[in-house]
Amino acid sequence: MEELQDASIHHMTAKVISAIKNTKCYEPIYKELQKLVCNPSVDTNDMRNTLEDAIKGAGLETEIRNVIYNLVRSRISKNELNEKSLPTSKQSSKTAVSDPLGYLKRAGVLWDRRVRKSLNAMCAELKVPLHGQPRISSDREDFVAKWNELSNYNMDLANYRPVYAPKDLLEVLLSLKGPAKTTTENTDQIPQWEFSHIALPVKNLFELRSHYADLLRSDNYSAMDTTTQCQRILEGRHAPMCQQFLKKGCTPAPYRGALWASVLDSKLHDYDIDYWQKLRNSVWTTDHIVDKLVFKDIQLTASNDDQYFVFEDVLYQVLLCFSRDTDIGNCVEYETFPVKGKTYEGPPSGVVPFHGICMFAAPFCYLYDSPVNLYYTFRAFYVRYCHRLTTINTHPQGIVSLCLLFEKLLQTYEPQLWSHFRELQIQPLRVVFKWLMRAFSGHLPPDQLLVLWDLILGFDSLEILPLFAIIILSFRKESIMQVASLDSIEAILADLSSIKVLPLVQLALSRD
Amino acid sequence: MPNQLRLNSGANACCGGGGGGGDTSLFSDWTQAWRYASLQPTLGQSSATMYGRLPGTSGGNATVAGGGVLSGSGTGGAGGACGGVGTSSSTHDKLKIGFCTDLDKSVLVNNFEKRGWHQVNGDDDWHFYWAGVQTCRNIFSVDSGYRMHDNQMINHFPNHYELSRKDLLVKNIKRYRKDLERDGNPLAEKTESNNSSGTRYLYLDFVPTTFVLPADYNMFVEEYRKFPLSTWIMKPCGKSQGAGIFLINKLSKLKKWSREAKGPFHPQIAKESYVISRYIDNPLLIGGKKFDLRLYVLVASFRPLKAYLFKQGFCRFCTVKYDTSVTELDNMYVHLTNVSVQKHGGEYNTLHGGKWSVQNLALYLEGTRGKDVTDRLFGAISWLIVHSLRAVAPVMASDRHCFECYGYDIIIDNALKPWLVEVNASPSLTSTTVNDRILKYKLIDNILSVVLPPDGVPDVRWNKVPSADALGNFELLIDEELAAQDEAQNSTASSHPKATKVGSRWK
Repeated sequence: MEELQDASIHHMTAKVISAIKNTKCYEPIYKELQKLVCNPSVDTNDMRNTLEDAIKGAGLETEIRNVIYNLVRSRISKNELNEKSLPTSKQSSKTAVSDPLGYLKRAGVLWDRRVRKSLNAMCAELKVPLHGQPRISSDREDFVAKWNELSNYNMDLANYRPVYAPKDLLEVLLSLKGPAKTTTENTDQIPQWEFSHIALPVKNLFELRSHYADLLRSDNYSAMDTTTQCQRILEGRHAPMCQQFLKKGCTPAPYRGALWASVLDSKLHDYDIDYWQKLRNSVWTTDHIVDKLVFKDIQLTASNDDQYFVFEDVLYQVLLCFSRDTDIGNCVEYETFPVKGKTYEGPPSGVVPFHGICMFAAPFCYLYDSPVNLYYTFRAFYVRYCHRLTTINTHPQGIVSLCLLFEKLLQTYEPQLWSHFRELQIQPLRVVFKWLMRAFSGHLPPDQLLVLWDLILGFDSLEILPLFAIIILSFRKESIMQVASLDSIEAILADLSSIKVLPLVQLALSRD
Repeated sequence: MPNQLRLNSGANACCGGGGGGGDTSLFSDWTQAWRYASLQPTLGQSSATMYGRLPGTSGGNATVAGGGVLSGSGTGGAGGACGGVGTSSSTHDKLKIGFCTDLDKSVLVNNFEKRGWHQVNGDDDWHFYWAGVQTCRNIFSVDSGYRMHDNQMINHFPNHYELSRKDLLVKNIKRYRKDLERDGNPLAEKTESNNSSGTRYLYLDFVPTTFVLPADYNMFVEEYRKFPLSTWIMKPCGKSQGAGIFLINKLSKLKKWSREAKGPFHPQIAKESYVISRYIDNPLLIGGKKFDLRLYVLVASFRPLKAYLFKQGFCRFCTVKYDTSVTELDNMYVHLTNVSVQKHGGEYNTLHGGKWSVQNLALYLEGTRGKDVTDRLFGAISWLIVHSLRAVAPVMASDRHCFECYGYDIIIDNALKPWLVEVNASPSLTSTTVNDRILKYKLIDNILSVVLPPDGVPDVRWNKVPSADALGNFELLIDEELAAQDEAQNSTASSHPKATKVGSRWK
């Protein structure tokens, strides 16, 4: 028995080691290690112990731990792991039976293709090559000169439209038809606008409560105040500890940037800064259609937003570089399913910008002054979470699962609201979808939004989004029950500026 | 913070009573908590909203403020000027409170009507006058012989120009500092440094070096010669909204201007006086943009000084692009169904007007610079405001009928030091955006609740100590009367004149 355990641990270790060797940070760590070996405190007669001590003393141990932590959660496919190696990794394995969800995967692939096809069509219509073309030198000089104030860079955007908007994704989602329902529910409502026919596993409220249990745990034993705790944790530089701290939802603003960077593994190395400059140069030298889409998007959303318009110049830089970053395409998980037909290419990043995509980046402007820092943390956040909100996929935290979770919670715990919506023939999802797809960015005021995103990072789950949507609906239930039209309901839910995230979530989860 | 407290208390009060049988609602007991937290109002609430009366509701006395019974003594018998029957047993709606306003702004009128007041002319019996500057001059002028009675309040002090005119403000601050120095007050401590800024007051250095022209011309030239690389900004004393302002960085330019200006630039016959200040050429930039801060400060009395700071100030950014257009999309390019512009919150059609809330500024500074420097900055801002008010307090006619809401314009430099640029006695009440309108409505609402006695009837005889609820979004900056009382109670009375309460967190 023990031998089996040892063997599997050995097997795992070998896998992790080979994975580490493939990462960018392997070389710097190895070099650091080599330097340590030359350290006088390391004794060749007792290499193992003295070297281990030296590693611990230099803080290299924490760094290696962090590398392993991040690797295991992101790179190694869940199917290869036979066991959960770290308790904080909450990714559940994909459903073994893919048949019930085949249509969903197919829809996902079709959606991706459709979006790219639109982009290609736009290129054809406007007679620009999809892969971009070199900028003419006068344009390039103008661009370089105005790099820090791109809001002053003039671009004729009259012929450009965002490729799609959240509403479009919603329509596609609502029209998803599963295999024919065998139950004979006699409802006079057409059942296909409910998501309950989609056989994705989602948590119920009890499971959510246990998942988020740490939110309710009070820290009576700690003699330190929050600020000192933060400082200690950041000195330790241990990513899982930082993540644990974020679960409390009371992160002091000065430390949030550092904590997020630690959890998202976006600490800057020299090669990161070089890479950023490379991206920037490619933006300077190549004119790509996504540039226009980025400009259009920011002008339509962030530049008009009371909370974020100040940062528009930074957002231009970040989003433009984002669109050229091929690493993103490699990190993002796409749905796979055999589908006939032509495949279309997308932008270098693999992400076709949609209306409002810059709002994912906007809240980061409150955390970082320099665009480079902002970029890497935002990019990691996007790859880890945001992307799942923008495509149709079967991931347990994808937008489809979140919609399903929302509907189930609403139906089970707010039956009055549920029937009210049914009477009015309004899909409740219509009202909250824009919140879900943007992770509430642009809807909640920045200080509260950052708390919500603390919870996303801390508990490593987007499930807080539909949960919070339900909380808001429940909170304003009385008003909603009094009105009878979609417009009135939207008016009631338009202003979330007085909502405080933490007390509401704690209250919702604490009831028996 | 208050919202949070109220929410918890309300919820706790209700959680004891469990839900009824079969009630699976998450928050069945939350309706009470929700009311206490005064979030989005239901349709059933007050008939008067910030947009005026809802149609179909009776125009009754939908008073929100006050709501108490008139105190039997005093207001009931304040004479025929009240225009109503006032017996000691009458309720407040017997005394018809009349308001008069020189500005026809809905943020004002709606707030007044919400309290059940009715509009009258300046010649009629008014109890509350939101006056323009000219009217004030008439009312307060010695010749008019106008005497206000105890149930009349007006929104300006007779000589507010001591604070709002640039030359008088500078003169008063300089005099204040000299007085403190002469008294040996530690506040007036100076630093003898050899750096470019020369001798500076350590604690009272919140106004850029300023001279009044033509009177201080020679002093200005002396200062100019010490720091020839500085840029200076010329502002006419009596104008507003940036009219007539220009920069100079060479003395010759000033001489040239004075030659070209209308009328001889002669000390004895100056037509218009100007102030010339050291230009702040290193302002704090956010997102690469320059901005200044607009804060509202309510002064209920100058002697003793009672001042309140409105927590919802904002930053005004100057290079805002207004050339975006939110157009409806058609699905020309896209082969998806129902492509349309996603408006979220319904606010994205209105422009933000270049205004960014002070809360967001604080959040940004804390996140990128740290809490200590942010706290220091906001402390310095409160300090600046208090001392500017103290500087003019001795010369202000502290009429009991008066209160005033000032608009403070402050610039922050890149060392996170605030500088006082200007004080406006009639800050604009025009709303440029939806949020702006909401803000100004709340501002007027809170001003009224602070300056009026608890029963909502204008009366100068109350103790002018608003309750915590009445403060609303205002935070107490300084109340010299209360501070003196506290000191009298404390046995260890160190009579430090610095009896200020530096503003607490702005969130």
